[in-house]
Amino acid sequence: MKQKLTWFFAATSSIGLAILALAIAGCSTAALSKGGNADESGKPAVAVAKPARTGGAELWGRNCGHCHNIRSPASYSDAQWEVVMLHMRVRANLTADEHKEILAFLKSAH
Amino acid sequence: MNPIIALIVACAIASATSVGLAQDQTNTDKFVSKEDYLKLKEDHDKLKQELDALKSQIQEVLKKTASPESEAVKAQMQDLQKKELARQAETDQALDDLEKQVKTAKQMAKDSFPGSTKMLIGGYGSATFTATSSGYGPAQPLPPDDRNGHNFFTATLNPFLLWKLSDRLLFEGELELELEGSETSTALEMAQMSYLVNDYITVGAGKFLNPMDYFVERQHMAWVNKLPDKPLAVYDGLLAESLLGLQVRGAIPAGPTKFGYAFYIANAPSLNVDTNDLGLGTFEFDNFDNLGNHVAVGGRIGFYPLPELEIGYGFQFAGVGPSGTDVNANFHSVDLSYVRELAWMKGAINLHAQWVWSLVDRPSASSLPGLQFPNDRDGGYVQLAYRPTKIEIPFLSNLEPVLRYDVVDQRKTPVGFDEHRWTVGLDYWLSPSTVAKLAYEWDRQNGSGENGRAFMLQFAVGF
Repeated sequence: MKQKLTWFFAATSSIGLAILALAIAGCSTAALSKGGNADESGKPAVAVAKPARTGGAELWGRNCGHCHNIRSPASYSDAQWEVVMLHMRVRANLTADEHKEILAFLKSAH
Repeated sequence: MNPIIALIVACAIASATSVGLAQDQTNTDKFVSKEDYLKLKEDHDKLKQELDALKSQIQEVLKKTASPESEAVKAQMQDLQKKELARQAETDQALDDLEKQVKTAKQMAKDSFPGSTKMLIGGYGSATFTATSSGYGPAQPLPPDDRNGHNFFTATLNPFLLWKLSDRLLFEGELELELEGSETSTALEMAQMSYLVNDYITVGAGKFLNPMDYFVERQHMAWVNKLPDKPLAVYDGLLAESLLGLQVRGAIPAGPTKFGYAFYIANAPSLNVDTNDLGLGTFEFDNFDNLGNHVAVGGRIGFYPLPELEIGYGFQFAGVGPSGTDVNANFHSVDLSYVRELAWMKGAINLHAQWVWSLVDRPSASSLPGLQFPNDRDGGYVQLAYRPTKIEIPFLSNLEPVLRYDVVDQRKTPVGFDEHRWTVGLDYWLSPSTVAKLAYEWDRQNGSGENGRAFMLQFAVGF
């Protein structure tokens, strides 16, 4: 039973990883073609410019509120929010667009 | 002759006479003498000349007086208007400049506060009072030596430091200080450097929270966790809390939703093979000396089928036996979280669930004869909370009742029992990151275990 379960999880994770690798490869190519990789230009690694599907306020409430109560935008200064949002982008796996939209909202809301 | 008749006749004669005289006069006016005519013509010409002269004088006067003055007035008015507009524009510009200067000064003042530029010091802390009945003693995964009922206080402080070295580079460090009884323990919770390679990939190195364990990464902080204690199995239980190694993580948009991922290579846990220890078959996760010389590989993939719902699967594979043995362990975790504000419920529901497995190979009898038992454990928790955020009575909208069921099954291992707990709690939110928690817990341990209850009161704050 244990072996079957192990094989099941191993197979599932392998397929998942393969799909993910393909997705990353595809998306990375797309990002490069749009100038999303800023290594050469030295510009900040911010989101590829795309029209936001939802506003920063909604993304803020949805992503942050998923784990904890949302803090007031006035809790931190713009500079502090930049640090906090970089931390949360890594911790909570925010997309680049989400990071950009939420940060823009927080800066504009206080 | 009658006098009346005489009078009438006299009037008639007088009338006739006057008519005749009038006719004579009329006839005389029809004819003007040449002299009169010439005189009249001369008068007429004279009057005409005088009128023309008067007209020309009026025109000259009008030209001389009225026109230049009105032009001058017009010009003066226009000039004044222009000056007024220019003055208004200057005033507006000055106000705008002043507003910008005030805003800049305000921001500079804010930015001059310690730790508010590229570096941020934050953290969280808690103070907890616990009263237990006899028999209470959660197994995480080992039961405590003492199961006597007692009352005690604990206090924790987890300061963390975030340092944004550039737009791509971040350092995160966190300490954990805990006072329990008369002893204070200190530990390095995490110390990690992260680099954003591009929009989809971030690379990290150092000591980091276990990415495969949803509760550890997202929920264990005292001001985030809605109950005073943590669920069995998922925290200091069947999975590592933190790892030392490398990780690659990020998020990939997928239409209206997204995937989150994290994969890592890190230190492997060390299997306890001491046959005289109740912990036989359990793990020392903080195996930073890398006993056994193994490496763990793992990760987690999270997916949002709905904006409010995240489901995730985490895994880790590692060799865990002492050097020279071939014992592998597989760890798996599935998690679900659903957080949504519902108008008809006048509030928000918060559902979190996670189940984990720890599956260890049975070694050959010749290499590890003491480990010839099914060394598999599993457990998890389900937690539901509701906060009436839409009720416009502050006291009620700050309350949040919580219900949790958690379990760990180790009946087939030397520990010898499975443990089930029900916990009810009531939180009062003093601010978004400050909470007072009250909880009561029923702990039921089957097999060789005991039963117990606990009352907990905790204050927690995130800063």
